[in-house]
Amino acid sequence: MNFYLPIAEMSVNVVVFLGMGGAVGFLSGMFGVGGGFLMTPLLIFSGIPAAVAVGTEAAQIVASSVSGAIAQWRRNNVDVKMGTVLLAGGVVGSVLGVEMVKLLRQIGQFDFFVSLAYVTFLGIIGALMLMESANTIRKTRQGKPASVRRPGQHIWVHKMPLKMRFHRSKLYISAIPPFAIGGFVGFLGAIMGVGGGFIMVPAMIYLLRVPTNVVVGTSLFQIVFVTGLTTILHATQNKTVDVVLAMLLMVGGVIGAQFGAVAGQKLKGEQLRFLLAGLVLLVCVRIAWSMVAAPADEYSISDVVGGRR
Amino acid sequence: MSLNWRVLRGILGAVVMVAAMAMMIGIEIAEAQRRQRSAQPGPARDGAGSPAAPVEQIQRTQPPQPVPAAAVPRETVQADVSSRSVAVTSSFTGTEIVVFGAVDHSRQPTAEAGLYDIVIVLEGTPTRLVARRKSNVAGIWINTHSITFESVPSYYTILSTRPLDEVTNPLVLRENDIGFDYVRMTPIQGWETGVTTADLQEFAEAVVRLKQRDGLFVQEEYGVVFIGRSLFRASVNLPANVPVGPLDVRVYLFRDGNILSTYTARVRLEREGLELLLHNFAFNRPLLYGLFTVTIAVGAGLAASAAFRRNAR
Repeated sequence: MNFYLPIAEMSVNVVVFLGMGGAVGFLSGMFGVGGGFLMTPLLIFSGIPAAVAVGTEAAQIVASSVSGAIAQWRRNNVDVKMGTVLLAGGVVGSVLGVEMVKLLRQIGQFDFFVSLAYVTFLGIIGALMLMESANTIRKTRQGKPASVRRPGQHIWVHKMPLKMRFHRSKLYISAIPPFAIGGFVGFLGAIMGVGGGFIMVPAMIYLLRVPTNVVVGTSLFQIVFVTGLTTILHATQNKTVDVVLAMLLMVGGVIGAQFGAVAGQKLKGEQLRFLLAGLVLLVCVRIAWSMVAAPADEYSISDVVGGRR
Repeated sequence: MSLNWRVLRGILGAVVMVAAMAMMIGIEIAEAQRRQRSAQPGPARDGAGSPAAPVEQIQRTQPPQPVPAAAVPRETVQADVSSRSVAVTSSFTGTEIVVFGAVDHSRQPTAEAGLYDIVIVLEGTPTRLVARRKSNVAGIWINTHSITFESVPSYYTILSTRPLDEVTNPLVLRENDIGFDYVRMTPIQGWETGVTTADLQEFAEAVVRLKQRDGLFVQEEYGVVFIGRSLFRASVNLPANVPVGPLDVRVYLFRDGNILSTYTARVRLEREGLELLLHNFAFNRPLLYGLFTVTIAVGAGLAASAAFRRNAR
């Protein structure tokens, strides 16, 4: 069964894309991640123009984050004040990111930058996660209790001006670092078609020392609003949001996520992180390969975007 | 309290999703009905858009005309297409159109005589296009060179009774923009990066090659056949990725390498139904379209969480 996508302007097999949404949804449910970092590359590899993949994936992340954010909210795991500061940064980052996408498309370097961003961030995060989880697994095998890194005392991020009290997180820190983190994640999200949880969560834990029980809820809170805004901005600035494609991915994704979550409960946290790290590195290597391998054709053609080349 | 909220949320999400789906399905049904209606041939239909009218027109010219003894009349060609408008709907997966026509005052004794050659060119709207070339910079393949062409046909198909170089000479082909070598491609001065005019030919060839790979530039050297001493036909498979817009159909009648007569027709490729609606929505009301998409996403998320009653992490 084929469907002609109105924005991507191509006829796609509905079953294939529902299946893709389902498979990525399964993995994201299992690992408790948004799945944008898997979906966007997968869409690009399957022939969807990179810009449409990024714009459309933003919409799908809204869908997959909403239910999680509400569940966290009801458990009082959202630091609204921290979330609002992150969100304020995210709005700025998202606006800049979407403009950047526009500019890069005009000069014909968007695909390259998407690949570069993916290789860089997936490489760093995947390697760190792999090391951390491998260490934990080894220690638990040896019978030692897995040592959780204690939040340290004061580091440089605590010495900045504009201090604010974040009651829910039990923190009294400058508003600049969370604003900057939110902005950075919003920017990357707009370019890479991801929610950015995989960067925001470690940054909140290790840089801001936010208690782990509010980290996920607060980051989901920010992601829902920022990816929502990113979707609207991609729709207005780049016209690259395909609502039909987004719906296919959403339907597949939300169903897959339910089964993934059940599967995920059967594995230990460090095992999950080890597998996730492997998956992240696999995607990273695949994209890196497409950048260094000789292309099948050195030439490419595309429509002219914007007034200038 | 919490249960109520969950139920309410589920209902809300479901309502949004159902409303969106119902709207789309409604449009699809309405469109299907309309298509069905328009497919029924009726005398009330105006001749311009209906496929019935041109057939009659051709048939009138088909019987061999009595040749007046005094002056031998010049051969002329008349032609048309099987469907003058093609609807690009959400179920569009490409379509076949037939170009058919007749040679008036044909002097060839049989269909196989080969006295005449027919060349048919289908050309889409000229569009701006940028061609880029990658090169290896420090181990990474990156776009380094580009040329922007002012106008390249979005679609270009040539069908002929035999290879073009047997039909006529390059001069005639060039004059009439027939063949991949003579497709009009004008680069925009000052819009190139890292390219000299020497590379222009290579870029132009790359454009043709890539368009051919996408099935948008097609050449069939024996694509036109005579099925009578004057009647000929050719079929064209428009792929699913054919750009929306008018296609100009040019039919050339050749004898001994000279053009005796030409005829032009037009096929309109237009978005219809849901396809048209969503495309216009996205391009004319981008802000509303963005909000609409986000609303659907939120609705889907709420509906899913309520349906599965799972408390996500």
